[in-house]
Amino acid sequence: MPPKTDKEKCDSCKAEKETLCEQICPGDLMTLGEDKKAFCRMPRDCWDCMSCVKACPKSALETRMPYQLGYHVARLIPMMGTNTITWTCIDINGKVERFHYKNRGSDE
Amino acid sequence: MEKTKVPSKVGLFIFDPGGGLARAIDLEAVLQKLTKAKNVARCEVIRDLWETNFHDSIKKDLAAGDINRILWVGRFSPDQEKKIQSELASEGLNPYLHEWCDLGEQGIGQNGGDGVDRGAETQKALILIQMALARTRLLEPLEPLSLPAVDAVLIVGAGVAGLHTATSFMDLGKRVYLIDKESGVGGKVASLSRLYPRICDPRCGLEYEIQKLKESDKVEVHTLSLIKSLAGSPGNFEVTIEKRPRYVNEERCNACGECMRACPIVIPEQSTPIPLFSTAPALQGAMNLLKSRKKAIHPATPMPYPSAFVIDRMHCPPECRECVKACPTQAVELEQSPSEAVFRVGTVILTTGWDPYPLSKVEEYGYGLYPNVISNLEMERLLENPPEFRELGFIQCAGSRDERHLNYCSSVCCSATLKQVRYLKEKAPDARCYIFYQDIRTPGFDEELYQQVKSLSDVIFIRGNPSTVKPEGDTGKLRIRAEDTLSGKEVSLSLDLLVLAGGMTPSDGSRDIAQLLNLPQNNFGFFESHLQCHPEESQRTGIYVGGACRGPMNVSQSIESSHRAAMEALAFLNETVLIEPTYPVVDVTKCDKCKRCMEDCPFTAFYFDANGFPAPDLAKCRQCGNCMGTCPIAAISLRHFTIKQTAARIQAIKASFIGKEEPVILAFLCKNDAYYAARSAADSGLPIPPNVFFIKVPCAGSVSNALVADAISFGIDGILIAGCVDGQCHYVKGNQLVKTRSGDLSDKLKKMMIEPERVRFENLEIRDSRRYVELVNSYIRELKAMGPNPFKV
Repeated sequence: MPPKTDKEKCDSCKAEKETLCEQICPGDLMTLGEDKKAFCRMPRDCWDCMSCVKACPKSALETRMPYQLGYHVARLIPMMGTNTITWTCIDINGKVERFHYKNRGSDE
Repeated sequence: MEKTKVPSKVGLFIFDPGGGLARAIDLEAVLQKLTKAKNVARCEVIRDLWETNFHDSIKKDLAAGDINRILWVGRFSPDQEKKIQSELASEGLNPYLHEWCDLGEQGIGQNGGDGVDRGAETQKALILIQMALARTRLLEPLEPLSLPAVDAVLIVGAGVAGLHTATSFMDLGKRVYLIDKESGVGGKVASLSRLYPRICDPRCGLEYEIQKLKESDKVEVHTLSLIKSLAGSPGNFEVTIEKRPRYVNEERCNACGECMRACPIVIPEQSTPIPLFSTAPALQGAMNLLKSRKKAIHPATPMPYPSAFVIDRMHCPPECRECVKACPTQAVELEQSPSEAVFRVGTVILTTGWDPYPLSKVEEYGYGLYPNVISNLEMERLLENPPEFRELGFIQCAGSRDERHLNYCSSVCCSATLKQVRYLKEKAPDARCYIFYQDIRTPGFDEELYQQVKSLSDVIFIRGNPSTVKPEGDTGKLRIRAEDTLSGKEVSLSLDLLVLAGGMTPSDGSRDIAQLLNLPQNNFGFFESHLQCHPEESQRTGIYVGGACRGPMNVSQSIESSHRAAMEALAFLNETVLIEPTYPVVDVTKCDKCKRCMEDCPFTAFYFDANGFPAPDLAKCRQCGNCMGTCPIAAISLRHFTIKQTAARIQAIKASFIGKEEPVILAFLCKNDAYYAARSAADSGLPIPPNVFFIKVPCAGSVSNALVADAISFGIDGILIAGCVDGQCHYVKGNQLVKTRSGDLSDKLKKMMIEPERVRFENLEIRDSRRYVELVNSYIRELKAMGPNPFKV
């Protein structure tokens, strides 16, 4: 399922030629709509790689969980640090699990 | 970035002269821990900083390569820091390889140990030193940069401010390019009759400056010129100016005036399109004065420098060649076309001045409708030979301090009117002057002028502005009705002449230049600057603004202002511009060209490099780090304050050092005020809870969301970002930028089922030390109520 855009937050990367989600999407699916807000133009082709969610500087994108992973209202939210990533999984019962990783290949 | 292959070997010295630290914390235990820490080559407590044995041993270790970075723990005065740095620099230790860790400013050992948990304090001190150590490991040797620069200045606007500044630069031996859009120099002031407070002729002062310019070979004056473009960076600007044709060769013309006598075309001196319908003789005299005329070929105006004549070609009949025939030196060149000139300058000073507010907009006073309603600038021209008026009215604040027109006080009009009245009464003692005012504002010594005018006979002050101005039949007089708000009585007067004191607005030239150079303007169109601290510094580095283009001011104030601008500009007027090595660097292997740095840089210092990556123009950059804060992928770092160094510091905080239930706060404090608030809180003995650690940042706007996310994910309970009060940020808007960003992060936390209040932005002023302590304490209580950060282990 493609990402959902918080239209209040999305600032269309301040009208840059190519928004960050557009740049990073491996399938080249993200683009700006007529309202200048990011959206996924071919929802069925989205792999749920979440690259765009991680890349969005305004935290305006959120993954809609595919049903194979969790039913509606389940959520998976990444938070990027300088060299860390933090995942929060919330299942349909509201159970929260959190994971915190330091990125591999970090130089220390 | 170049990496040193040599591993960090840190010499860690804890300076505890009076043993105070040892009393406050368990120094032995700390020392034991630190000795075993990674990369620590030497760790000891020192009592005397200048002991020769100690210094010799450091020097020996440095020479042998046993230590290559030093972490100093303790309170050092700036002088001590400088002395240590310079002494060890001679031993080959780069000044940027020192790290200073002041435990006192974080609240350790500052309140005499009353009611303090010694264990917690010891732990906190240890963490603070470990944080500093984490940064010390990553320090890089840096050298200041020096960029070649040009020793020349461009001054735009040759009015009183521009002229005075030009001659001052000339005296300093700097090369000056002075340009003006008129055919001569002098600006608005040249059209004034008298200057207050001395009631002297402004041309006297202007002429004095012009004489100095004439004698110098350091100054190039370009009239009829406008800036076309400005490229390059501070220290190395390339300015292109466009010169309108003069139609007279400046080098040949000797200003003999033969052409003027031959010229058949007469044009008005200044366009005053007032229909003359009155028959009153005095008024007609006045109008003739106002309508003084000149020929199409005439000396440069406002002041005839350069001395060459100039032709107003738009008034010339196409085939007329009278001036060409008359000129004995063959100086008239009717075929001239616009030309361009390019200069290289180090800095630009704008003294583009002001324009009077268009009084025809103030409809109720009939300016432009009735011939005997004139502006105060027109009154200046009548003053030298005042016609025989019996009754004159002056209306102050005509359009000023009025939300329909100018919502500010132009600050000079009251004194200007008083000057006009005083001078008029010298020339025509019988004239009766009525001054309608809201408030008389004569700041400083102008009060004396006010007192002088008040003591004159037949000068009547009426508080209240007229409601109607109407002509009185065809007598040529005006009927004025007003309410004297002091006596509550209605006043009805018959006047010969009414003078409106109009306000000052930024000149059209100022507005054009603002657009061309992308200079921010304030709500009223004047150039924006940091009014308290750097009033003459525009928000574009290397461009300074002086005089009335910055705000309404009188002649002496605008000369002062332009000189202040000149003083600030001097930094860029050398053979070289010295750049501190703490500038931002873009990691192009990470950068994805999103251009947020360009967007958010308060000084538009970024440009595209050859590969399309954003790169900071080091001369324009003021090293505030807002680019570092805004970069969504943490690809920009200020050197010596890198993202990595800060991330390492954050990682060194053990979030549960005083138990999992005790919240731990990480504060990012702006070094301009919040930091001082925290420091003076500690120094004045206010109890600082052990729960808070702060990191000093160049501007709150330099805090990256990635760092805050790091802190949250390492289990720190609360993040406090403290910056300046709105409108007080030295870097224009850093506080607002970080406020928005941290707001976004808070929203994300909410989605993550974490309390959004764990990230908090606050405004702190420099003396808010008590508030800082209260803030920290109340935040601790709040966080305690929330429970520990779910990431805390």
